[in-house]
Amino acid sequence: MKRRTFLLALSTTLIVAFSSAQTPEPPSILVSRQLAETEGLAEGDVVRLALDAAGAGARPFRIAGVYEPTPDPMRLGTVPREVRMHLPDLLALTSDDDAPTGAEHVARINIALADPANAHAFARSVNGRAPGVFARRAAATGSASTFVVLERFHLAIAVVTIVAATVFLLALTIMLVDERRETVGVLRLIGLPAPRILLQVLLEGLLIASAGALFGLALAWVSEGLINRFFQWRYNTALIFVQVTPRVAALCVAIAVPLGASATLAASWALMRRGALRLARR
Amino acid sequence: MNVLGFAWRSLVRQPARSTLGILGVAAVGALLFDMLLLSQGLLLSMRGLLDRMGFDVRVVSSDQFPGPGPDLDDAQTLAAQIAGLPSVRSVVTIRSESADLQRAGGESVRVTFLGVGGSTVRPWTVVSGRDIAADRELVLNAYAAEELDAAPGDAVLVKAFCFPEDTAPPQQTFRIAGIAEFLFDAPDTLGAATTADDLALACAQEAGKADFVAVVSAGDPEAAAAAISAQHPDLRAMTNEQAVGQLQQRGFTYFRQISTVLSTVTVSFALLLITVLLTVSVNQRLGEVAALRAIGFSQRRVVLDVLCESVLIVGIGGGLSLPLGWLLAQWLDGILKRMPNIPVQLHFFVFEPNALAVHALLLGATAILAAVYPMRIVARLPIAATLRNETVS
Repeated sequence: MKRRTFLLALSTTLIVAFSSAQTPEPPSILVSRQLAETEGLAEGDVVRLALDAAGAGARPFRIAGVYEPTPDPMRLGTVPREVRMHLPDLLALTSDDDAPTGAEHVARINIALADPANAHAFARSVNGRAPGVFARRAAATGSASTFVVLERFHLAIAVVTIVAATVFLLALTIMLVDERRETVGVLRLIGLPAPRILLQVLLEGLLIASAGALFGLALAWVSEGLINRFFQWRYNTALIFVQVTPRVAALCVAIAVPLGASATLAASWALMRRGALRLARR
Repeated sequence: MNVLGFAWRSLVRQPARSTLGILGVAAVGALLFDMLLLSQGLLLSMRGLLDRMGFDVRVVSSDQFPGPGPDLDDAQTLAAQIAGLPSVRSVVTIRSESADLQRAGGESVRVTFLGVGGSTVRPWTVVSGRDIAADRELVLNAYAAEELDAAPGDAVLVKAFCFPEDTAPPQQTFRIAGIAEFLFDAPDTLGAATTADDLALACAQEAGKADFVAVVSAGDPEAAAAAISAQHPDLRAMTNEQAVGQLQQRGFTYFRQISTVLSTVTVSFALLLITVLLTVSVNQRLGEVAALRAIGFSQRRVVLDVLCESVLIVGIGGGLSLPLGWLLAQWLDGILKRMPNIPVQLHFFVFEPNALAVHALLLGATAILAAVYPMRIVARLPIAATLRNETVS
């Protein structure tokens, strides 16, 4: 079954022929955007499709429209040169002339259940009642799903990046706080208590971290469009590679701001434990 | 004291910031190392698997690889013709179909059923029991044996689905000769294999069809592929190298792209942060640098001190990043291998010496570039004015 579909998809001979008035109206088909672009096809064109490259047994079809194939990350790099037609037309095109009526076959039947939760029970029931037919759930929605795995991979990369950024941030804040050692010493000497100075440092950290997070989000929004446009052009697909959703943005801010503020506070903490005179170098 | 020793003492004098800087470089370097391993990992791994199968050349009916291309008809004759070429040592035909396997009284399970014809070279390794030797024998992979609760010597009913018309193919009884490991087995993938003749028997067909023909060359795969192409211009003969090239062009590109993007981001990140670290560090020590210049340190010497500090931070961090990166790669590989239909023996992160060289090169360039701005500050430092400001403050 897989081979017949494959033959149709790849060995299809495509010959554009403009419709002639005396022939009956050919059945309609849809062509993928990529196929339409590469072959210069447009809505209303009549094409002839055949199962073999030589064009034997070709039948005419009218292009009713051009569709964007559902982006599939597993087929990234493969340009979908596809045609969609009504099932009776496909059977007429692929069936042997001498095959008895009713002997046509289909590769699979997709079924939408009233209650998707019954998918496993339904599949078991079909498998038990119809020997030679294999029913299963249409999509893997569990941990094996490619998307879920890729999401985990990206999350892991993000965690490593955050760890690296945190370490650098700590190093920077330690240096910056150290640079203000004398100022902090003078503030302590004129009577400001350590908690008051720490609060000030925390607020400063929060302000800087918030500004940094907002700048990061702006950068992400700008680069989102650029990255998507580049990869969509590169792979000729409508797949969206990067999407800064409100949830992602909120998560970034929720991680970056407390992290930045905490790093500033942690770096200042050691400073506060020293004596005011020592800090002021007096 | 030499420049490197002096730079080392500068770092040791400020242990907290130096340690954090080094740890930061180690984390970034680990990520960079992993991205370099990922950029070619799948291709190297696939190449290794193809080589380990023991075949040099694959003959298929179209350019589609990997993928279910049209069948090769009369594959036995084709195999015999190819086997007659002087550049060819042995030839195997390989066909795969779906089949339901069932033990008496048990539930049936759907497996990928391989039929192998031609020479005695088998694309699997028997791990228990023995290899197929007699008619109507098959080997199972471990997962299929577990699902069927079957062991070598047991009988199974085989219902093969070779053509869509065969909606109710006749069942055939096979005996399990052994449990085998298939190189391209994915976790939870049920597999079985027998001879091409017995698969055809299960399909109730004449033997002859094959998905592809696998060839062991006499030593020169390129020559064998060329000879096969000349003999059968309608077919596509590709060496393992060419097959991997096809994969590189048609698939596996996502991870290469993401690796390029992340490598670029990682190096930029490291460059920016080390520059900031060194610049802030130098700015805090301007008085000290001016004093060193005043007591006779040359401009070149203080500039080299800054460069050596950068090299030490990046060098030590980079050294730490290798074991860290390797551990991280194992973790990330484990995550990615949970994708469906990924063979157990395929890896996304594969070490190659070239990755190590590129890693060292990128980190080395980062160390130098990161030091450029702080070196410029030190080089242009007005000695007298800086010392005066330091004294006044």
